[in-house]
Amino acid sequence: MLELMTAESNFDVESTAPPTKEELLGRVAQGDQAAFGDLYDQVAPRVLGLVKRLLVDHAQSEEVTQEIFLEIWQTASRYEAGRGGASTWIMTMAHRRAVDRIRSSQAGRDRDTKIGIRDLAIAYDHVAETVEVRIEHERVEKAMSRLTQLQRQAVSLAYYGGYSHSEVAEMLHIPLGTVKTRLRDGLIRLRDELGVTS
Amino acid sequence: MNTQIPSGPPEELGGAYALNALSPADTALYEQYRDQSEQARIEAEELSDTAVALGLATIPVLPSAGLKATLMDLIKTTPQLAPLGESAQRASTKPPMTDASAPNTALTLVPEAYATEAPAPQTVSAPSELARPGMVEASRGASDAGLLAEMPASVTGTAAAHTAAAKTVPPRTRAEDRARARWFQRPARLLVAASAAVALFIGGTVIGGAVGDNQFVEQQAAGLAQINAAPDQQRASATTGDGQQATLVWSNTLGISALLVDDLPALSANQDYQLWYINGDGPLPAGTFDSSGSGTAWRVLEGTMHAGDGVGVTIEPNGGSDAPTTEPIVAFQS
Repeated sequence: MLELMTAESNFDVESTAPPTKEELLGRVAQGDQAAFGDLYDQVAPRVLGLVKRLLVDHAQSEEVTQEIFLEIWQTASRYEAGRGGASTWIMTMAHRRAVDRIRSSQAGRDRDTKIGIRDLAIAYDHVAETVEVRIEHERVEKAMSRLTQLQRQAVSLAYYGGYSHSEVAEMLHIPLGTVKTRLRDGLIRLRDELGVTS
Repeated sequence: MNTQIPSGPPEELGGAYALNALSPADTALYEQYRDQSEQARIEAEELSDTAVALGLATIPVLPSAGLKATLMDLIKTTPQLAPLGESAQRASTKPPMTDASAPNTALTLVPEAYATEAPAPQTVSAPSELARPGMVEASRGASDAGLLAEMPASVTGTAAAHTAAAKTVPPRTRAEDRARARWFQRPARLLVAASAAVALFIGGTVIGGAVGDNQFVEQQAAGLAQINAAPDQQRASATTGDGQQATLVWSNTLGISALLVDDLPALSANQDYQLWYINGDGPLPAGTFDSSGSGTAWRVLEGTMHAGDGVGVTIEPNGGSDAPTTEPIVAFQS
């Protein structure tokens, strides 16, 4: 638009700033389809990135991503802004859905033979492309480096591998109780390193 | 893989819980523990947020352009859940919904309608199980608990006759079961061929429904979303004996189906609609439901659908029957 920016319009920055994910989600809850489209544009690559990390197969990851966004559409009214950001809500849902897919299908087991434990233990094998992602990536990588190797391994297998705690126990040949402890201690350590507070 | 080792203290499960690494049983155990103290709730939330940080550190991947187009199309016809009432409301002394004017607003699901006093058994509460219709057992009993007990009786003549018959049903023999099931085996005039392009999901009240358990609604919504998202989704439509439009949607790869009916009449308190999967082994019960009488009632069927299965709906005594005791009001052939 060839519109002269006046000083006054600069004061409008706040109201014309792109809506936050939280605002978009609020509108989605009201049935706003355009807001859903905008929200999709903002978070879909993030969602697919995570799902694909777990499922590996691209086509299947897109399928699960579709399910996730339909669930976002259906359950947007359940999002409570007071209890965390929209990204948190969506990424939590995305991880759960990806894990569901792994547990519920043969695909999960085929996948195991394809990728194996080796790739999973190393969680970071790509160079992040955007500044935002790179910063987050480095922050998490740094925090992960503060874990004991055993904690890191268990957390990676569970989160990025989508393995259940009993599967992790089997893979690492350690008792289930030990896995539980490692996962909790590992996450608590990460929480403290990342400064996550509720 | 699922060796049952006695669980230690539930707080130990917090890490695995945040990582979605628990079995359904352990998940239920942990959630129970978490809901008992504020401190536990805070830890659960913080660990969950920590897991999200791990998720945000993965490399974004651009979806294909088709995905957004598909989704924008799907949401036009996908119902949304109404806002969740205060959780206190669900646990409170609020009397069961006794009003036919319950907020069955079109375009929303109304979980409050299920907010009666009896809490549903919580044996299945793992998020990882939500999407699996086979796991609805916990909700099933509850869905039979006289949900719409005070609904005005708008029983049709046939339904009343069926009830009378049902009341005098003696213990059945296998032969009797077979005889009762006979309508399923003949090519009933109600069986219809699959037809595409049915206007669907324009409204909806999830039917059936676990008492006091919003999880059932979410599980149902998730099931419907899964079917919607399945590449091999199929549909068939038919008209009930009373002329209501009924549609079956299903996915053979997922083995799930859902039934949608417009303006299905409400039944009296001692009756339920019951769904059936029909195959060579005869009809298998696939869940019961009620209808408010207006809007689109829908329900994801319990159990697994196999390619070629038929689906039928009968009116049964409250709680459902082991085998159909009445003629179907509608039937489909997948």
